[in-house]
Amino acid sequence: MYNILVVDDDKEIVNAIEIYLSQEGYHIIKAYDGEEALEKLKENEIHLIILDIMMPNKDGIETLQEIRKDKTIPVIMLSAKSEDYDKISGLNTGADDYVTKPFNPLELIARVKSNIRRYVDFSHVNDTNGKNKNQKERVLKTGTLEMNDETKKVTVDGKDIKLTATEYNILKFLLENKGKVYSIEQIYENVWNEESYGAENIIAVHIRHIREKIEINPKDPKYLKVIWGIGYKVEDIK
Amino acid sequence: MQDIKESILLKFLCYILIPIMIFVLAISMIDVSITSQYGEMEGPEEYIETEEFGREYLLTLIYKVQDIYGDKKERSNISVNKENSNPFNHYDEIEDKSYEHPVYYEVINYSNTMVSQYINYIIIDKENGNMFTNIRSNNYPEEIDKLKTEKTNWSYQDGNITTNINAINQESTKYMTSSSYSTDNLEGYDVYSNIDPNMLSYSNSLYVQQTVYNIFKGHENLPAYLIPLSAISIIIMIVYLIWATGHEKGKEGIQLNSIDRISYEVISIVIMFVIGMMMSFAVASVESQIPQKILISVFLLCYLIGYACLAVWVSTTIRRIKAKQFFRSFLTYKVCRWIKVTIEKIFRKVTDKENTNRKITIIYWGFVVISIILACTMWSGIGLLVLIAFWIWAYYKLLQYNKKIQKINEALRNIYEGNPNVKLNEEELEGTLKIMAKYINDIAGGFTNAIEQSLKSERLKTELITNVSHDIKTPLTSIINYVDLLKKEDINNAQIEQYIAVLDKKSQRLKKLIEDLVEASKVSSGNVKLNMEVINLKELLNQTIGEFEDKLEKKNLKIEMDLPNENVLIKADNRYLYRVIENVFSNISKYALEGSRVYIKLEKQKEEVYLEFKNISKDKLNISAEELMQRFVRGDKSRYTEGSGLGLSIAESLTELQGGKFKIDIDGDLFKVEIKWKSE
Repeated sequence: MYNILVVDDDKEIVNAIEIYLSQEGYHIIKAYDGEEALEKLKENEIHLIILDIMMPNKDGIETLQEIRKDKTIPVIMLSAKSEDYDKISGLNTGADDYVTKPFNPLELIARVKSNIRRYVDFSHVNDTNGKNKNQKERVLKTGTLEMNDETKKVTVDGKDIKLTATEYNILKFLLENKGKVYSIEQIYENVWNEESYGAENIIAVHIRHIREKIEINPKDPKYLKVIWGIGYKVEDIK
Repeated sequence: MQDIKESILLKFLCYILIPIMIFVLAISMIDVSITSQYGEMEGPEEYIETEEFGREYLLTLIYKVQDIYGDKKERSNISVNKENSNPFNHYDEIEDKSYEHPVYYEVINYSNTMVSQYINYIIIDKENGNMFTNIRSNNYPEEIDKLKTEKTNWSYQDGNITTNINAINQESTKYMTSSSYSTDNLEGYDVYSNIDPNMLSYSNSLYVQQTVYNIFKGHENLPAYLIPLSAISIIIMIVYLIWATGHEKGKEGIQLNSIDRISYEVISIVIMFVIGMMMSFAVASVESQIPQKILISVFLLCYLIGYACLAVWVSTTIRRIKAKQFFRSFLTYKVCRWIKVTIEKIFRKVTDKENTNRKITIIYWGFVVISIILACTMWSGIGLLVLIAFWIWAYYKLLQYNKKIQKINEALRNIYEGNPNVKLNEEELEGTLKIMAKYINDIAGGFTNAIEQSLKSERLKTELITNVSHDIKTPLTSIINYVDLLKKEDINNAQIEQYIAVLDKKSQRLKKLIEDLVEASKVSSGNVKLNMEVINLKELLNQTIGEFEDKLEKKNLKIEMDLPNENVLIKADNRYLYRVIENVFSNISKYALEGSRVYIKLEKQKEEVYLEFKNISKDKLNISAEELMQRFVRGDKSRYTEGSGLGLSIAESLTELQGGKFKIDIDGDLFKVEIKWKSE
């Protein structure tokens, strides 16, 4: 049972989030401003915080700064501010994720799960890493996206992902060359090992499918990024 | 210091003392010139007995002898008549029965020694017995005896001197070896002479010399003190007066009196004239043999008037210089100034900014008149050259003027074309052109201001919309979330489920509307930061098709692509360029007729990249392309579609922000989007 602290001055939003997350089996602790959030954080063992930015008493950014002084728990910012500038300042202050209002409940749930898994489960997995050392060479990895070429298994935040063979090959190629940008033509030639014939937009479709499978929000991808007019790349995340 | 400078008494004293000191200096110097040869010794009793006087006396006689025959010394060739070539003396022959040889009487005496004016002489040429004299007489032998006996006489007979002037007696002249003073020059002549004693009691320079000599007689050392004393005091007083003149008690700066206001030339001429008069008067009085008492008063009067005039002149000159009015007080200066002002006045009339007609008239007829005048002098080659040069100059001026007009024209065209950032240099221009330039600058400035104002208000509008959208989004979040929760409830009532579906659809639409509204206002006000880089448009199209593949498939839309083989590179911000293409595809996927074909053509032209989308609309397009684009701006009637209607408007604004052109064409049911971009 994980404890999630939800902080928002709009009570209905907090209640709605409680309903959604309770259904997923989380325990919700509610707070309606920054000061209260910090108090609740002291009183309880919290595994994740959902934090609004525009709040009375102490706003989300200030609260986040306070939290980050001594805690590493995942924080998801939830704000009506959707400008790039706002997202960047939130992430720079130490937020792990940024969700804009009005949010899609499924996306929020996915992000909560992802962050909790990474925070709680993965720290556990990391301990067992030593035992699987001989396997490690065959594991392609960026962030929490892992591809085991031996078992042909792909996981994100430890969750299995089912890919088609083509999708698997494309993702494998990009993962092997993570951080580099490849155009559709280059991907085709490398994966199919034959000259492109000019109608490769099928690659773009495959990549969209991969994104839809591995990303929480395919329009705002974390791993498989689209560089419009140039190509695609897999982000190299440590 | 200030008191000394402003003291009237002191200045008055100086003006009085200066002439006295000059007088003292003058007589001291005369005395020195007379007595210098005596040094510390005591001189003779009388001036006549001084060596100075004696030497001059002797010299006069030597000159007379030398002058009688002129330079040629040819006695046989003597021509003592009016045609005498001797320029200095002129003798007339007169008859005297008591003397057997010819007698020549001195008519005009040009000799330059002082004594020659007062001397009486008879010179006899021993060779031929000719007699030269300045005495009128009927019995010259008697006159010779008279000359021998009278006071202050000097005679030279057969080499022997008989005289009562000690300085040039037989003994003294022995030591005179210098040729001009020596009695050797008198060889071959007998000379008899004396000075009329009456002369010494009349007004003449001899008298002056004698008087001065008498004053200092027995005090030979006095001039040695008086000269430096008087000279220094004169210098001090003059320096003081130069320094102090023009300063008056209780008044700041240099004070000018009425004399200082007279034109400098006028006052100078008047004063010079008076001084000249006084000087000639004084000289004339000295030589005029009037009684001494009158002489002294006349001489002093002349001296004082002359001095006063000089003092006035010098002081007014200094005051003018000190007041920086020297040149300005010239009549010439005033005349020149008057001429200058008059010419300027005329010139100003010619260059009158408002009256261009008169200006053109004057310039044109000036040109004609000068041309005619020059043409009249054409007979000389230079006249023709000058005329041609004048024409070339006038042509050059016209060209220059035209260049300025072109500059103004260019500025006007810039403003007309919507680029009000023009600034004409008003200083470079003149007359009407200057006024035009000023007006143009004002208009341009006004435009620039208006544009800045509107940009600012656009920014404020965007900010307002962004802020309001935040406030709308919060309640909207709850609406969407609770509708979603309702949807999940087991209701078992088809009616309610239908209502909820409407709520769901409309709340989602509201969300999209708000997002598009913020973006559209940001983009249309140009409030976005662009990160321009080289992009392959072909790649982008393929990527976008990949994104929309499922949506297009759902509507059974078939894409017909016509892409060039090579890459198509343009410069753009890749995220915003994707937004443009995405919006076009989104529009197609929403409004294209199901099961129809969508034609996409990408062409690389000379300088441009041309992208075209064609599809068949499912609804009748009873709206013009312009209206479609301006829906958001104008608040149009038809808002029944599922989108916000802002997509194409955003796409257009974004394209233009990145330097491209976005155009919509509606032809019946054919819906066409054309995008043009500069090729990289």
